[in-house]
Amino acid sequence: MKSFYTAACMLLFFYTHAQTIQDGLMMPKGDLCTGFLFTHDRWTNYWEGTLKRENGNIGTITTNSLTWLGNYGITDKINFIAMLPYVSTRASQGVLSGMQGLQDLTLAVKYNALEKSLGRGTFRGFVVGSYATPVSDYSFDFLPLSIGLGTQRVSGRVTLNYSWPNGWYVNGTTAYTWRSNVTLDRPSYYSDGQNFLTNEVWMPNVMDFSFMAGRIKNGLELILAYHQQNTLGGGDIRRQDMPFVSNRMNFSRVEATGMYYLPMIKNLAVRAQTGYTLAGRNVGQSFYVTAGVLYTFHFSKKL
Amino acid sequence: MKLLKILVPSLLVALLWSCNKEVEKSPALPALEPLRLDEIAGSWTPVILSNNYSLQVPLAAPAATTSDAYKAELTTIKNAQAGLTKQQRDVIAYWSVGAVIRWNQIMRELVARYNLPPAPREDGTYVFPDAENPFADPAFPFANPPYAARAYAYVSIAQYDALKAAWYYKYLYNRAAPYMVDASVQSLVPRTSLPAYPSEDAVLSGVTAEMLKILFPASVEQITRLAADQRNAALWSGKAAPSDISAGLALGKSVASVITAPGSRFRTDGMGNAVGNAALWKELQDSVGFGDFYKSAQMPWLSLESPPRPPMLPNFGKVLTWNISPAQLVAERPAPPPSTSSEKMKQELAEVKKYADNATREELRITHKWADGAGTYAPPGHWNHIAEESVVNARFSEVRAARAYALLNMALHNAGVGCWEAKYYYFNPRPSQLDPSIKTKTGLPNFPSYTSGHSTFSASASVVLGYLFPDRAQFFTSEAKEASMSRLYGAIHYRSDIEVGYSHGVLLAAYTVNFAQSDGAGN
Repeated sequence: MKSFYTAACMLLFFYTHAQTIQDGLMMPKGDLCTGFLFTHDRWTNYWEGTLKRENGNIGTITTNSLTWLGNYGITDKINFIAMLPYVSTRASQGVLSGMQGLQDLTLAVKYNALEKSLGRGTFRGFVVGSYATPVSDYSFDFLPLSIGLGTQRVSGRVTLNYSWPNGWYVNGTTAYTWRSNVTLDRPSYYSDGQNFLTNEVWMPNVMDFSFMAGRIKNGLELILAYHQQNTLGGGDIRRQDMPFVSNRMNFSRVEATGMYYLPMIKNLAVRAQTGYTLAGRNVGQSFYVTAGVLYTFHFSKKL
Repeated sequence: MKLLKILVPSLLVALLWSCNKEVEKSPALPALEPLRLDEIAGSWTPVILSNNYSLQVPLAAPAATTSDAYKAELTTIKNAQAGLTKQQRDVIAYWSVGAVIRWNQIMRELVARYNLPPAPREDGTYVFPDAENPFADPAFPFANPPYAARAYAYVSIAQYDALKAAWYYKYLYNRAAPYMVDASVQSLVPRTSLPAYPSEDAVLSGVTAEMLKILFPASVEQITRLAADQRNAALWSGKAAPSDISAGLALGKSVASVITAPGSRFRTDGMGNAVGNAALWKELQDSVGFGDFYKSAQMPWLSLESPPRPPMLPNFGKVLTWNISPAQLVAERPAPPPSTSSEKMKQELAEVKKYADNATREELRITHKWADGAGTYAPPGHWNHIAEESVVNARFSEVRAARAYALLNMALHNAGVGCWEAKYYYFNPRPSQLDPSIKTKTGLPNFPSYTSGHSTFSASASVVLGYLFPDRAQFFTSEAKEASMSRLYGAIHYRSDIEVGYSHGVLLAAYTVNFAQSDGAGN
């Protein structure tokens, strides 16, 4: 089993990715894996549109989040996944206030649609449908200090996985995410060259993909991943302007993850992850670390 | 197969859900059917022009509707109407709402586009926008609230004066609209008996485009295209003949050239000096504002931006106002704020701190509703937006709609100047300067605290709008009070900034209401 990470990076930490959602592994029927993960994310440089810069009026933006997650095996082939982060932001310079609160609840169903032996290893295919919605009335109109983007999302994902008997595996995954429009607290806004006389903001949809390679051996799992996300529309941050909720937020990132099942305490795993943004548009160049503990309950296990 | 069974339905659901996402740029508005034509608007008091239009902006008499030349023009219209495309009909529908309203919306868009402060350079200094190089970084202008207030006022006044001149000629020459002259010309907009020569649309297109090209030169392409669209819509809709349009365009342009002539008020009202210079910024710091009020006991305002930014338009308080003389403006200056070393200031600071730490979600909503900061149409634009619904519902003629915006924007400009005069006279620090632990819920403006611009702008606007639309006076007042308080909730103003700014705004607006009461237009 594996768990997940919050991709808690500036404008993008709002896409709380679950690796459980992206990976090629399943919880067996009746098992529940649950736990908490703490993520510390920070960035100083950001891309104002495509221009990379820093800004003395915010300094470094730090986002800390604590995420609860659960992954339950409804059957061996169908998992139900849920997660909910509490997020807190602050700026190291300037006068702008940080914000905090419960962010978005994600609910997902993952289905192992395909599994067959191929060569020496096993080939698997997964589809995931997920839904995410804000669970608190946070303001998303105070970027980069807002804790989220306030949009509801429906996402469809396909993952292909190939694993070898010696514990190595490779994984490719892609998803398309539909995002609902959002409603601002103000009656007008400027976006992408036009001034809108409404509080409703069109939210472009999002596409992402990842490649990862990993190995599970003797209770230790190591993963390297490349992740890219593209927002399919939206305006750029203008020169010396604040970011806006519907900006075209793109980024590519590398990530490394380690997970270890403690030999002395059965069913308990510790997990650590780090990631770094290589390139982006309208996002911060974030560096993050995540650490957490996960515990597996075997509810249906025959004793 | 199993994969398809899940994927296909979920994709369908998601697609359906994403279909209706399109957001309209502005709400649907009805085509203008004015309740009154305001036949005597040519005799209403002009703001800038003299009331001798035939001397200042002469316009020759048109050809008779029976002439061959005019008949050829009618053929031109009929030919155009025979082949109208969907796109051309959309242009007609867009402008049919009322060109004063449309240009006001466009102006708000231009302000929002240029309301961005210059970015600091590598060496920590700032370059000011250059009108001679408007496409550079920083772009010209920086349409901050004072710049915006003055721009909204000049454009609205120019439109208002130009339309009064147009009305004067319309009823002097009394040439009917093409759709009245020839039954085979369709009227694709609501029919009125307003004389067509000169075309009010062409007048507006000419005067507005000329003003906007000076105020927002880097958007010349959009401005020019929209102005041409407006004239085309007037012709395609059967409302104006080519000669109505060319006469209107000429009249509109000549009104703009009178208003912006060398040596005119527009060129000499003090805006050119509003930015100040390094010596002035230092002097303001050393002597705590122009007022030199407390000298030793008072802490001067400091920029809290990083790197520190020169204060916004310190000489804007010396720019000429409308309906108020410079001496009257100084006489209306608010009493001094509590000294930064006083007990009263400590109490006010504690109240700001309370909101900074404990604002409710509702208070945050109000803060963001009225933020109107960088990148927006600014507080004067917000009040123009608020006015729109009332102007539409009142079904004003174009000239009366222009009057409403001119009165509103004169008052907003005056509020801006009066508030800036006080800000730089007292040079009072922001709450976050006196207590760095105060973090704000909205952008902190880069100019002194006392008095609150939002409060002054909003109070003035609500008084003028309440005069024009008495049925909604209570609504305007409650909006203005909410706008004022939003600055305390956002932790960027003390209560005295807000309360004194509000009263000041009410006082200044009385001058504009006085003007309105005697301009010959009735309420």
